[in-house]
Amino acid sequence: MNELAPQLFWPCTLGIAMIFVIGLYCVLFTYNLIRALIGLEILIKGVTLLIILAGYITAHEALAQSLVITLIVIEVVVITVAVGVVLGIRKHTGSLDARNIRNLKG
Amino acid sequence: MFSWLILLPFLGVIILNLPFRALMRRAAFWLCVFIASVQVCAVVFPAVCLWMGKLDILGYILKINFTLDNLSRVMLLCIGMVTFTAVFVERQMRRDEDKFFNFLNLLLLLVAGLNGIVMVRDIFSLYVFLEIAAVSSFILIGSNKDFAAFEGAFKYIVLSVVATVLMLSAIALFLIVAGDTGFSSISAALKSSPDRFFVILAIGMFLCACFIKSGLMPFHGWVPDSYSSAPASVSILLAGIVTKAVGVYTLIRVVSAVFGFTPAIKSLLLAVGALSVVAGALAALGQRDFKRMLAYSSISQVGYIILGLGSGTALGVAGAVFHLFNHSVFKSLLFLNSAAVELETGTRDMESLSGLNKRMPLTGITSVLASLSCAGIPPLAGFWSKLIIIIALWMCGQYFYACLAVAASVLTLAYFLSMQRKIFFGKLGEGLENVKEAGFGLAFPAVLLALVTVGAGLFLPLIIHVFIFPQGAIVGG
Repeated sequence: MNELAPQLFWPCTLGIAMIFVIGLYCVLFTYNLIRALIGLEILIKGVTLLIILAGYITAHEALAQSLVITLIVIEVVVITVAVGVVLGIRKHTGSLDARNIRNLKG
Repeated sequence: MFSWLILLPFLGVIILNLPFRALMRRAAFWLCVFIASVQVCAVVFPAVCLWMGKLDILGYILKINFTLDNLSRVMLLCIGMVTFTAVFVERQMRRDEDKFFNFLNLLLLLVAGLNGIVMVRDIFSLYVFLEIAAVSSFILIGSNKDFAAFEGAFKYIVLSVVATVLMLSAIALFLIVAGDTGFSSISAALKSSPDRFFVILAIGMFLCACFIKSGLMPFHGWVPDSYSSAPASVSILLAGIVTKAVGVYTLIRVVSAVFGFTPAIKSLLLAVGALSVVAGALAALGQRDFKRMLAYSSISQVGYIILGLGSGTALGVAGAVFHLFNHSVFKSLLFLNSAAVELETGTRDMESLSGLNKRMPLTGITSVLASLSCAGIPPLAGFWSKLIIIIALWMCGQYFYACLAVAASVLTLAYFLSMQRKIFFGKLGEGLENVKEAGFGLAFPAVLLALVTVGAGLFLPLIIHVFIFPQGAIVGG
């Protein structure tokens, strides 16, 4: 356990929780598909910070770094595929409005 | 050992994309069939492939601990069988050579990811392989490029990313508690401090992520959309193995190896499982679209698996794993039948079809076998797995859930019989006079899968001690 950890833990956790809230707000309260993806991206950034914090307070920085680098690579791939899908939706409907993609129901 | 099963699909992708692509294109189909068959053979006849087990190259390079137990073997067998089926179906359904080639590449990546999921013993490596499988399935769902496919893929992506965020937050909290990401060290840390706020929060988030990935009832929104809008072969893959390995297997493995069967986890699993069983079956009753009906049925059957896991006894887990195996066989077969019907008649609307048994006898017979197995009619495999789950629930005192499982089985029979009556029985509908059997590519895997589901039921006494009961051993460990 790092000696600065007890003082740093709660402020950092609070900051990360705020990032989560911002990301969730961004995903839930928008009809724009690209904005929803940006919200998801903000959520993943919060998780990245949480892993770094976990590595710092347990003094496992090397492990946390390797995890975070892997995570960033994967997240870029996922978001790229998601943007590709959004582009496909844009080609079909001509808009980025999430209210248009409610055909499948029941 | 057996890490070459992950290496083989990756090598396959590399070989397919070497400079002389024209030659590779012709060989691609057989290469995939070969890889799937090798995987099935390696599981069924481990002695034959023992010398390959010495080649632990990937584990040596990546320093990842790959191990294999009975549960992993069952999953590898399912992955091999369903991949085999999907390659044949895609060959029959897809006329465009380029798209077929892309499908095979993505399929090999998917298989590599799924094989990785079932062999790792480290929570972060689990996440990495999970994302490999998820990304390939996103692209596969959208590969038809029609609007419905994009819609299904987008819903899956959004929920999957939310599940990823929950899972990674749980991993970060485990890292704080345990200082490591291996299953054994997290398990030890959880045992020494079971009641800390962070521990409970992390377990809750991880379970939620698994529920989303396996499409259980409160989080099922993406399942019917992406199953029904994906191309036929991708529906087979999704229903047969992707959600099973990514969600259900992860849940079984993590609950049994890391969290342990605490009373809180057991009651959560039982409640979510019962909700999925009943609500999935009720929703399936009201569907007109063949594939949507199968998707809701899939939710309901996954509920049975979770009920078996929730009993927390060795017998219950053995039943759950056996039902997982059966489900991937008969649900792949039913999606295969829906592909055959859609290919020949051009529609999936159950109201506009009737009497296809006269024109497509093989599809009719195999779909009757699969539906009866799914509904739990005695000589077939599905009956035995449901029976084991219900007995396990009864024996651990969960009488309410046991009765619910029996009652929901009747609902399952109801929606499958209604499907059979609408599509296959009765008088031949108008405009369906020229329908014929869908061809070798769909008939051959259908017969194989039907034989597996009948065989596993009839030869149960032979396999029950080597294949089913040993699954319960993971509860103790």
